[in-house]
Amino acid sequence: MAGGSVSECKEYLFKVLVIGELGVGKTSIIKRYVHQLFSQHYRATIGVDFALKVLNWDSKTLVRLQLWDIAGQERFGNMTRVYYKEAVGAFVVFDVTRSSTFEAVSKWKHDLDSKVKLANGNPIPSVLLANKCDQKKDSSNNASLMDNFCKEAGFLGWFETSAKDNINVDEAARFLVEHILLNDKGVPYEESNGDRIKLDQDPMPAESKSGCC
Amino acid sequence: MAADNLPSEFDVIILGTGLTESVIAAACSRVGLRVLHLDRRNYYAGNWASFTFNGLLSWIEEYKAQQQTPSTTSEQGWNDQIEDEEEVVFLSSVDSSISNLEVFSYASDKSEDDELLNSPVVGSLPKAAEEMNGCHKEAQDLGSSSACTQGDGDPHNLEVKNQDSCLSEESKKTDQQPIRSPEQAVEVKKKITYAMLLKEGRRFNIDLMSKLLYSRGLLVDLLIKSNVSRYAEFKNISCILTCHNGKVEQVPCSRADVFGSKQLTVVEKRMLMKFLTFCLDFEQHQEEFKDFTEIPFLEFLKCKNLTENLQHFILHSIAMVSQDSPTINGLKATQHFLRCLGRYGNTPFLFPLYGLGEIPQCFCRMCAVFGGIYCLRHSVQCLVVDKESGKCKAVIDTHGQRISCSHFVVEDSYIRDDQRMQTTYKKISRAVVITDRSILPSQSDHQISLVTVPPLEPSSPAVRMVELSSFSMTCMPGTYLVHLTCSSSGSAHEDLAPVVSRLFHVPSSCTEESIQGSEENEKPVVLWAMYFNMRDTSGFENSSYNLPSNVHVCTGPDDSLGSDYSINLAELVFHQLLPDEEFCPPAPNPEDIIYDGDQGEGAIFEGDSQKEEAVIEGEDGSQAHKQHGATCSSEPAESTDSIGHEILTEYDIQSPPLGNSP
Ligand SMILES: Cc1cc2nc3c(=O)[nH]c(=O)nc-3n(C[C@H](O)[C@H](O)[C@H](O)COP(=O)(O)OP(=O)(O)OC[C@H]3O[C@@H](n4cnc5c(N)ncnc54)[C@H](O)[C@@H]3O)c2cc1C
Ligand SMILES: Nc1nc2c(ncn2[C@@H]2O[C@H](COP(=O)(O)OP(=O)(O)OP(=O)(O)O)[C@@H](O)[C@H]2O)c(=O)[nH]1
Ligand SMILES: [Mg+2]
Repeated sequence: MAGGSVSECKEYLFKVLVIGELGVGKTSIIKRYVHQLFSQHYRATIGVDFALKVLNWDSKTLVRLQLWDIAGQERFGNMTRVYYKEAVGAFVVFDVTRSSTFEAVSKWKHDLDSKVKLANGNPIPSVLLANKCDQKKDSSNNASLMDNFCKEAGFLGWFETSAKDNINVDEAARFLVEHILLNDKGVPYEESNGDRIKLDQDPMPAESKSGCC
Repeated sequence: MAADNLPSEFDVIILGTGLTESVIAAACSRVGLRVLHLDRRNYYAGNWASFTFNGLLSWIEEYKAQQQTPSTTSEQGWNDQIEDEEEVVFLSSVDSSISNLEVFSYASDKSEDDELLNSPVVGSLPKAAEEMNGCHKEAQDLGSSSACTQGDGDPHNLEVKNQDSCLSEESKKTDQQPIRSPEQAVEVKKKITYAMLLKEGRRFNIDLMSKLLYSRGLLVDLLIKSNVSRYAEFKNISCILTCHNGKVEQVPCSRADVFGSKQLTVVEKRMLMKFLTFCLDFEQHQEEFKDFTEIPFLEFLKCKNLTENLQHFILHSIAMVSQDSPTINGLKATQHFLRCLGRYGNTPFLFPLYGLGEIPQCFCRMCAVFGGIYCLRHSVQCLVVDKESGKCKAVIDTHGQRISCSHFVVEDSYIRDDQRMQTTYKKISRAVVITDRSILPSQSDHQISLVTVPPLEPSSPAVRMVELSSFSMTCMPGTYLVHLTCSSSGSAHEDLAPVVSRLFHVPSSCTEESIQGSEENEKPVVLWAMYFNMRDTSGFENSSYNLPSNVHVCTGPDDSLGSDYSINLAELVFHQLLPDEEFCPPAPNPEDIIYDGDQGEGAIFEGDSQKEEAVIEGEDGSQAHKQHGATCSSEPAESTDSIGHEILTEYDIQSPPLGNSP
């Protein structure tokens, strides 16, 4: 497969984590991004593992994004390694209407960096999302303060998002995927997979072979 | 992430995150119970855990600290929360399931910029060598600062410096090899130093307990049935070896192996195939073994006129039973082994990437996804027992919070001795060895091997050994991680050190250390080794404890190669809690979750095979997230016949993985 003909299409599978405090809108952002839906009702997330978004990145690249949600019930302690395993990117979400959720961002980032690293030992690319911006009261947002915070905390950047009004969700994802692709140059998913066995894998993984262009 | 107060009421509180407890947690949460899952450690999986190299050093430090200062139990904050009609039952605040821990480090601490520092130390070389020789004795007492007792988690630990002096000119040269042609480069191995083990420590995932998965064992079946398998990936064990007549030999277990084997004569090959074919459906041939059922399996093998060679392979490497186990057990074990062949490869075993410690965590993730609440570094001081009913109605956690529950599930090591009917235990002896090369000289495609070592002396235990290469994601490239396990007859060191020195080169003084990577020595060189005993409480039942009837004790790992014991126990406890509920029905596939936009009412799941709908998120925030109508086990039923056919005709051909999708 390596070094196949130029016209061949590359396919990637990226695991992306979505973390942050209880009720900041993690599930809403994923729903908005993957299913184009939004619901006003808050319900603690139960039974949802990850969602898949397929991106036709360009004529030669197909990206499957696996967005791993966490449920509020994991807020008390450490996430399992299973959650962090082989993640290549992350969104850390806070709620602009609750400052305590912003204060927790550093803790989430720190936990993330201590649990997963890229193959070269660097932290995985992560983007900060200031969610519920549709509800922001003071318009005097201090963008340069946020820029500095991101620099210090090691975020690639930040976006004001609203899952409700569909603001910046696609943009943030695009921004993150760009950086993941930079890190992952030339290692399409299938090749790195070797002779690993998935117990539930389809006997014929024909689907993953289908072209995208 | 801040630990705000926990909710004050749960259906079940589970203490301990080992495999059995984690499976119970997932099973309960999956059918809608409110689960609180706690562990006093800051890591998951208890005695099933796996650690990075540095994480393991910290674990060793913790053990040492606990040995030195047996923690004084400080129970407070519960008095005022107990009513008159209640009494308390205390839990143990220390874990005493690990004992006889000894650590030996043989890798030098040389690093490039240390070279100048070497000269002053050279004078002390004889002394350092002496200390190395004396290390076996000294290491018994981990508190002492022996040169080779490498317990300190601090990478800058100065004790290791003693070994700097061992640095020979030869090893320096090896380290600075100029670029060579590829063939030469393969021969000259880079010397692994202690500093490299620390630096690459995150590449290690070192399991406290070593087990493999039988490809048709209960754990594999459960992983598939529950869809927890989506969180893990596996490798097939590439070969099975045995220690025979002082040599390491490959065990022929597939048809291709048998016929390709160089050790076996033509007559033996026929004999072995005939015998294995019989074992596949031995129940159909009562006449062949009915007089032997309770007689030792070895006697049966002798009666079948199998050669000594074949007796060895079948007894120690295929059935893996002891000399004196009855024939019926030997036949069942052989049959199980054969039935597991060919499902995922041509040995019966799987190993989880990143180590066995992944598996409990996979079940914990499933539990959390269905609403289970997780707190590590958080334990229970005492149970609150209602005097009249004798049942546990609540617990007081280590923060002094009272939390009520209808059931309490707890791992054995949290139980105090005064609640036990019996305080003598079996033990498991374990050794973890990091080496510089594989035990098989041409290891290229043998990424994971199982080695069975029959008793070296009649009185010593049979040992099983698993050698992992870096492809298993459990050790750094250039090293091999070797796990040795047996049921204890003495301390782990007494039981296993003889096997280690038989199969590996254990440097006895630092001057010898330069042998590492040199070609004269064929045995792998030990870089680092750890021995310890783990309590094996697997025989215990609820009647072994003096505890309320709604307190369910889970025992830790047993000493067998598979995990059937722990899975059976989990299912048993689950059905004590919930006699009518299904055990671990399949979780919906993430891709099948359809969000219902119109009502804004959460997600709908379309069962892939059943085409039945299930509401995933609760309709009113209550516990309505049971999956309706999802009948379980869509695993294709296979008749023994077809399996037998598979093995005997396509023995060596890797059949496609079987899964939920038939
Ligand atoms: C199952 C699992 C458990 C982990 N547990 C911990 C932990 O307890 N504490 C901690 O600090 N870090 C943990 N990690 C992260 C790990 O330390 C690093 O992410 C990993 O070592 C990446 O470096 P590598 O050079 O081994 O990557 P490679 O071997 O080149 O691996 C390639 C890819 O696999 C991923 N990967 C490899 N190994 C791991 C690994 N061990 N964990 C996660 N992803 C991995 C990497 O992110 C990378 O994208 C865990 C990772 C996994 C898979
Ligand atoms: N106004 C507004 N409300 C939002 C936005 N995003 C989420 N919400 C609301 O915030 C609440 C919580 O959203 P969720 O997506 O469930 O939050 P979560 O982070 O997944 O919560 P947990 O899973 O419990 O940790 C819901 O009531 C959403 O409707 C947004 O961008 N704007
Ligand atoms: Mg959520």
